[in-house]
Amino acid sequence: MTSLSISEVTLTFGGLNALTAVDMEIEPGLITSVIGPNGAGKTSLLNCISGFYHPTRGNITYGDRSLTNASPHSVSILGIARAFQNLELFSGMTVLDNLLLARHKNLSYSFFQALFFSGKTSRVEAQNRAYVEDVIDFMELEPYRKHTVGSLAYGIQKRVEVARALTLGPEVLLLDEPMAGMNIEEKEDMVRFVLDIQKERGTTVVLVEHDLGVVMDISDQIYVLDFGEVIGAGKPEEVARNPKVIEAYIGEE
Amino acid sequence: MAANRWLATGNYFTSYQEEQRIFFTHLDRSVFMVFIALLFLWPYFFTLSNKYMLVIDNILIAMVAILGLNLVTGFAGLISIGHAAFVGVGAYTVASFARVLGDSHVVVTHFWPLLILLAGCTGAVFGAIVGLPALRLKHLYLAIATLSFQMIFTWTINFMRFFDQGQTISVGRVFWFFGKVARKQHYLFWYYVALILVIGIGLMIRNLMRTKYGRCLVAVRDNDRAADAMGMHPGLTKVYAFAVGGFIAGVAGALHAYLYRGVGIESFSLHESITYLAMAIVGGLGTLHGAFWGPVAIKMLDLQVEHLAEVAGEMLPANMNLATALRPLTFGLVIVLFLMFEPRGIANWWRIVRSYTKLWPFRY
Repeated sequence: MTSLSISEVTLTFGGLNALTAVDMEIEPGLITSVIGPNGAGKTSLLNCISGFYHPTRGNITYGDRSLTNASPHSVSILGIARAFQNLELFSGMTVLDNLLLARHKNLSYSFFQALFFSGKTSRVEAQNRAYVEDVIDFMELEPYRKHTVGSLAYGIQKRVEVARALTLGPEVLLLDEPMAGMNIEEKEDMVRFVLDIQKERGTTVVLVEHDLGVVMDISDQIYVLDFGEVIGAGKPEEVARNPKVIEAYIGEE
Repeated sequence: MAANRWLATGNYFTSYQEEQRIFFTHLDRSVFMVFIALLFLWPYFFTLSNKYMLVIDNILIAMVAILGLNLVTGFAGLISIGHAAFVGVGAYTVASFARVLGDSHVVVTHFWPLLILLAGCTGAVFGAIVGLPALRLKHLYLAIATLSFQMIFTWTINFMRFFDQGQTISVGRVFWFFGKVARKQHYLFWYYVALILVIGIGLMIRNLMRTKYGRCLVAVRDNDRAADAMGMHPGLTKVYAFAVGGFIAGVAGALHAYLYRGVGIESFSLHESITYLAMAIVGGLGTLHGAFWGPVAIKMLDLQVEHLAEVAGEMLPANMNLATALRPLTFGLVIVLFLMFEPRGIANWWRIVRSYTKLWPFRY
């Protein structure tokens, strides 16, 4: 398994440091959570990993590949998938089409074969459709397969977002607040999915989340960010005792 | 229970490949086949005057052009205000052969299918070049880039001696297996050529839309950030959209050149570009059959306006040309009305009719 490491990453917007010398080691096969107050730089960090931002200084490496200046599509081809915080779904398309789009790089037929919808095209499409159905089954999206994504409830859309990232067949899954704005049942469902993704598929999960209860329960490793700096790291119980973390969350006495 | 392959009584798919079909029931397919057959056979039973044949030919050529525009603007969401220029690129490809080799040279008259293909390729090359700003620009800014191509195209042709400063360059009559296509058969001949191309290109686009090459277009339209995260290069996808759109436009241009047996700049002006855009909007952007409704509606409207002008003209002083005044007026009105009341175009009416008749006579 390849590990994702972030070393000395600094991201600057004008005079503002969104991230300052962030060091992280994301262990393969585990659930690593990134927590912190609003504006701490959690999403910026995910954007750096997935290639939407490029760090001003520092390096991000995945195995022996550098992701520092990689573009989002090349990052996703390396096997790092991202689910967005503010739903970035193709809202006019069906759930099925959304997921099939994630198979883009696996659909290996040429333009001319597609023009005539040759036997190979049909076969490859059907194979990938089977893969998509697996994910639909896994994420329990069967009733919504043919629904337009824009017409679904928020909680379901969030699930589609995670499903789409999963359809990329990633080794590392970056989840940006998958439980934000959900009710308790939907949260419980999502937690179950995240745990299943890690256990059954062996996917490394990087979770950015505000719900501390969830994070403390399911994470193997936690990093705490505040004002763009890592102020605490370690196992959930260690982090919970860290005075700096307590200070960032509930203030000084 | 055996599946009824004639009527849609339920979902009996047993494999994913079955679900890829264009026609789900034999009935759908038969209706389509009969319709196509009628399109091919009607000229044996009726003869239309040249005036109306020309209108029909024009509609078919516009359909080809709109199939391209619909791909760029409808599916990929890139507003193109230079589509007539791409059509012009195709037409002027044919014209340049006529110019260099002479308008009745064997290449122009005998190898016209090749020239049509070549015109498409030139269109694709120009499309890709004009699409390059799409790597950086978005939305209206990109639209302005396509507008500038329209301007550059018109200006260049107007000032090039090679293209006779935009005056008509004639193209010779073509040959077919039975010899030269005579004056009497000219419009009918090009009706068949255009019809075959409309059906062929239409089917190919339909095929594309059920593969990744079509889905990626809709993906960059809906959300190009997410498209990027899904492993496709949004910029290159847009350039690809322009190239394919340019190819189809080029084919339409070559057809135009052969149909009119000449190429002049006035058929590829900004006005035409906007007319194409209007056809695409009235037909229904982002739907395949919208590309068929739009040209029919706009050209028919044009015809009606002409009739109306003739009738009304008799009551007015003779020196007023009412058609010139009425045309832009009705044209503008139709676009505004469509944008206000039916932004999804005539294609949406078709969808409503279809979903109603599917369940008829039951309401559920």
